[in-house]
Amino acid sequence: MLRLQRCRNCQAAIHYPRRWCPKCWSTDLDHFDARGTGVVITYTIVHQSPFEAFDAYTPYVLAIVQLDEGPTMLTNIVGPGAMEVAIGDPVEVRFEKRNGWTVIPQFERARSKD
Amino acid sequence: MERFLSDWPDLAPGMIDGLLAPPAFIAGAGSTNTYIHQRLAGRLGIQPRFAETLNAGATYGAMVSRAVLAIEAGLCNAVLCVGVGKFPSVHADGAAISTLVGDPEFELCYGASIPAMYAMVAQRFMHRRGTTRDQLSAVAVSAREWALTNPDAYMHGRGPLTLADVPASRPIATPFHRFDCSVPCEGGGALLIVKGASVDRASTSAAYIVGIGETHYHAPISEIAEPTATGLAECAQQAFKMSGLSPKQISIAQLYDAFTITPIMQLEEFGFVEPGAGGEFFESDATGPGGTLPVNTFGGLLSFGHTGDSSGMSFFVEAAQQVMGLAGKRQVDNVDTALVHTYGGILTDNVTVILRREP
Repeated sequence: MLRLQRCRNCQAAIHYPRRWCPKCWSTDLDHFDARGTGVVITYTIVHQSPFEAFDAYTPYVLAIVQLDEGPTMLTNIVGPGAMEVAIGDPVEVRFEKRNGWTVIPQFERARSKD
Repeated sequence: MERFLSDWPDLAPGMIDGLLAPPAFIAGAGSTNTYIHQRLAGRLGIQPRFAETLNAGATYGAMVSRAVLAIEAGLCNAVLCVGVGKFPSVHADGAAISTLVGDPEFELCYGASIPAMYAMVAQRFMHRRGTTRDQLSAVAVSAREWALTNPDAYMHGRGPLTLADVPASRPIATPFHRFDCSVPCEGGGALLIVKGASVDRASTSAAYIVGIGETHYHAPISEIAEPTATGLAECAQQAFKMSGLSPKQISIAQLYDAFTITPIMQLEEFGFVEPGAGGEFFESDATGPGGTLPVNTFGGLLSFGHTGDSSGMSFFVEAAQQVMGLAGKRQVDNVDTALVHTYGGILTDNVTVILRREP
């Protein structure tokens, strides 16, 4: 599940997690299960890897996604049709296990529901 | 510094009582040494009453602004602003730099880099305003035209660039290709900012600072729902308001151009053209030699070169020389005013400064 932070004082949904709410500075924060869906705000297909660890992944899609709950986040677009992603595409979260011990959220283009 | 001191032979150590320096470890690659001003003061034999090492890097407008504040506050009369730097090796130092502009925990893992983040801003801007691939190329072509008139420009000897050359170069991150990005090199520059009354002692001509604006809207670009809402517009508005000038009254513009998208964004956001018309403006030759609004008359970072921790300084040196009539072969006729905009991070820090020939 994609977990987001929420301010119990002003109800703002927050990402990335912080020690105090960026809207009202309250420290009365908790987490909730987000829907894991959103929309592509912008993206780029990276051809030149920024550093060695990413050489093997190019070309890959870097994107900014706006979650249904409001916050935006940086991510990769992975899965079927990733290279054909467009601004405005609906996306869904997937989780990628990396280095055997950590899990990071990624996003796939939403398949149309019949 | 040698060139600065030989260009201005009437300057003497006793005339300088302020010093601002970048954190370059004597033309090193992006250090965070905040004591450079101490070493430089020692080498120059000066005892400033106002001195600091600023993390200027790109945003030299901040350095100019701080110098003005110190002089206006009566702390000192003459501030030497120095820029020196070397663009770090893209691949080797890419990781270190990316951690500075993106969140190390929530962004680095996705393979973010400065060019990729600007590429995302470009894609969004093109989507909203209709900027085309050819229009991005026109920005690079315009910068090269100016570089051909400037022997100090890194690309001076490389000949003209055509629109087709840009997308034919190596892809970096869509929409950017190699020629959409600045050219890495090393270099430096310096400015002496003095209280209006003491101009005559230092020089026979001057460029007066008549307007300043500054905004800082966000940290990681992924934090804002509209990546093109960056504080550019408000920043320039502040400078125009302070100076009492409007875009129509600006003779030349020096617009920080690490990537071809940003001069287009700046022209539109600053009100030089209507939203959506920035790309066309570059396509029309209006920004090149002989044009109605010359832009980046020294070749910009795209063709003069990106000098790492001194990159922003290049825009100020050029603007001042143009306003002062000292730009030699590149001199634009009848330069009365110049707008200089420098930004850092991912359009995170913005400073606009307007210069004028008369106070």
